[in-house]
Amino acid sequence: MRQRTEERVTGWLFVAPYLALFTAFLAIPTLYGFYISLHDWHVLGRTRPFIGFGNYSALLRDDLFHRALLNTAIFALLTVLPGNALSLLLALGLNARVRGETLFKTLYYMPVVLSVAVTAIIWRWLYSAEFGIMNHYLSLFGGPRLAWLNSPELAMPSLALMSVWWGAGGNMLIYLAGLRGIPEQYYEAARIDGAGGWNRFRYVTAPMLRPTLLFCLIMSVIGSSQVFGQSYILTGGGPHYSTLTVVLYMYQTGFSLYRLGYACAVAYMLFAVILGVTAVQYRIIAGRSEEASA
Amino acid sequence: MRPHRIALHLALGMAAILFAAPVAWMVVMSIQPEADIFRPVPQWWPRHPTMENYSALLQRAEEAPVLRWLGNSALVAAAGVTSYLTIASMAAYAFARLRFPGRNLLFGIVLATLVVPGQVTIIPLFLILQKLHWFNTYYALIVPGLSGVFGVFLLRQFFLTLPRELEEAAVIDGCSHASIYRRIILPLGRPAMATLAIFSFLGSWNDFMLPLIAVNDNDMRTLPVGLMIFLGRYSMQYGLVMAAAVVATIPVLVMFLLFQRHIVRGVALSGLKG
Repeated sequence: MRQRTEERVTGWLFVAPYLALFTAFLAIPTLYGFYISLHDWHVLGRTRPFIGFGNYSALLRDDLFHRALLNTAIFALLTVLPGNALSLLLALGLNARVRGETLFKTLYYMPVVLSVAVTAIIWRWLYSAEFGIMNHYLSLFGGPRLAWLNSPELAMPSLALMSVWWGAGGNMLIYLAGLRGIPEQYYEAARIDGAGGWNRFRYVTAPMLRPTLLFCLIMSVIGSSQVFGQSYILTGGGPHYSTLTVVLYMYQTGFSLYRLGYACAVAYMLFAVILGVTAVQYRIIAGRSEEASA
Repeated sequence: MRPHRIALHLALGMAAILFAAPVAWMVVMSIQPEADIFRPVPQWWPRHPTMENYSALLQRAEEAPVLRWLGNSALVAAAGVTSYLTIASMAAYAFARLRFPGRNLLFGIVLATLVVPGQVTIIPLFLILQKLHWFNTYYALIVPGLSGVFGVFLLRQFFLTLPRELEEAAVIDGCSHASIYRRIILPLGRPAMATLAIFSFLGSWNDFMLPLIAVNDNDMRTLPVGLMIFLGRYSMQYGLVMAAAVVATIPVLVMFLLFQRHIVRGVALSGLKG
């Protein structure tokens, strides 16, 4: 009996520090943010009138917010599929018992450990129209001189390319772990049945890798929908709002225009969109695998 | 080797060069004099290697105290990692092994917050830090990052895989749960703790959003935000900017190379099976 009491007390004592932090810096801010979003809350305002979902209905009519949503979707489109395809290709290559695997892995993963500021500093110079090596090597192959970050059409794709380089190594490791988790016997059985390389990939690797694929795709979509540092540092949302993302819009609304209620509403709209997109993705991919197994 | 094996190695090698080139370019530019940086043809092998950008960096300490930022980042990361590991491992042990009322409900709530994007909390967090009078202090930079859902989840998953026999024997010997945590769980949990250490270090060192809103005093910045200021102010002195970027990168690269295998294991561990 004394032991049970000791266990209970220890249990509560051991979660207490975490719980305090969790409450103060995650639970309360999450609820508080929603509360703020229901008010006309300006930093300098004398009153903060409750306006219900007023901020949300204003957002639905806000052209800049629509632009930010569209830009963020474009960024997600330009990074998620190409990025995951690259990560998967690298992982498949490394899984084929190559020499120097550790060295390759180290180099592919290295950009992941850089901060967004360092990444931005490097790429701003690579993209420099006059002195950048991107234009230099393009011109060697007879390509045109591109304006990269200064062009409304190319600025977002440029940020996407940089982000794929920055993040591909992370998913590469996850795919590699997934590939290594496929039992060797499955491949042997397929080989005995006379399956070639492509068929082994199609009928063994692809279905076995589906949970990993689902995880990586969902996490990539969630991550890319929160893109902020890249455009905040490199373009400030420009040129002509072409790289204004949702989180950047939230940041500018809150910390440059001091409209905290409106900014919180932006954050919660993003939260809702992420939840919705994740649910749809989960349905599509999980649904398909049920179909396949049926 | 057969031809397609050679082709595979070539392709992987090419990819490795493309991944490494921008980082190498940063280092190369940081040791070139300004005049060589603006040459039309890239100089991959510096003709006049020099440390002048680094010494110029130190002379800019008034407007851009890079060493101070480095110290701030180191302090924030050291405090963050130490407490992250302590607090998360205690909570994870309690969630994994101890029976106490409300445990499952509590863990459910904690898990549910994994879906909350960090940005949702940024503005309320800013207001809370103001109310606590923590704005522009180390408290604001450090305390919100002292623990995290991810770490609790990761460690709990790992602790669940540990064999129970040792703990049961210890209970029979009259050991308290606090000393089981200290004498059994912590030593056995070292691989997972190492993984969490490297991930929380990288997260803390590279965090951009919290230091951006928690401080605005130049002396209180951490490196990532400081570098951004640097980029704005010296946008055309690229050797200088690159030197600052190298200074910010060396600690993460060293930690990365030292803890690399824990990263690889952590990816497998973070429960892609679940």
